[in-house]
Amino acid sequence: MTRFAVGDRVQVLALRKEGHVRIPYYVRNHAGCVTEYCGTYLNPEDLAVGKTSGPAVDLYRVAFVQRLLWPDDVIPAQDTLVIEIYDHWLTPAQDTDHAP
Amino acid sequence: MQDDKGSKGYHDVGGDPAGEIPKVELPWLHWEKQVEAIRGLLGDGTRRIVSLDEVRRGFESFGIDKYNSLSFYRRRLEAMTDILIEKGIVTQAELDSAIKAGTTRWSDLDETP
Repeated sequence: MTRFAVGDRVQVLALRKEGHVRIPYYVRNHAGCVTEYCGTYLNPEDLAVGKTSGPAVDLYRVAFVQRLLWPDDVIPAQDTLVIEIYDHWLTPAQDTDHAP
Repeated sequence: MQDDKGSKGYHDVGGDPAGEIPKVELPWLHWEKQVEAIRGLLGDGTRRIVSLDEVRRGFESFGIDKYNSLSFYRRRLEAMTDILIEKGIVTQAELDSAIKAGTTRWSDLDETP
């Protein structure tokens, strides 16, 4: 059983982790919508320091409204950015942004 | 840089102003393919000697000047050798001597009429 299902609203955490992370700065603290569950993968933060023993973590594909990520740019309202985010970087969204 | 979103590495440039995107197809050079082939072998599921994420951690530790001065595959190559040395899989002396031997071999070929 995964923590999130397709359609769930999630918010990206700002975990302040040092070292190699795969969650870009521009998406942290933003809310999006889970579009797909990708399966479990070894955590790249562990792999980056040679730890290959796991545990494997859930990975989700999450869509964000582009206009909310880049408020200074002229972007069609329906445009979304989809990136893959590991479970420990996500929390249920508290915001009221429109779902993409 | 550290704020309420945590740190932003120099490699984490998504959304930064970057000017015009050069729309030219670059050739994929032979040595670049070799770098990628060796990286693939080092990181595959049976060997797990150096993972892609270790390589990324390597070039994310270069410092911004070195990072910006190197091409995509040069970064991967330098980071890969850094990690191999860090893990004690090869020594700096072994690497230096292999580079010297390779350089000599190719120089000799260049001089062949």
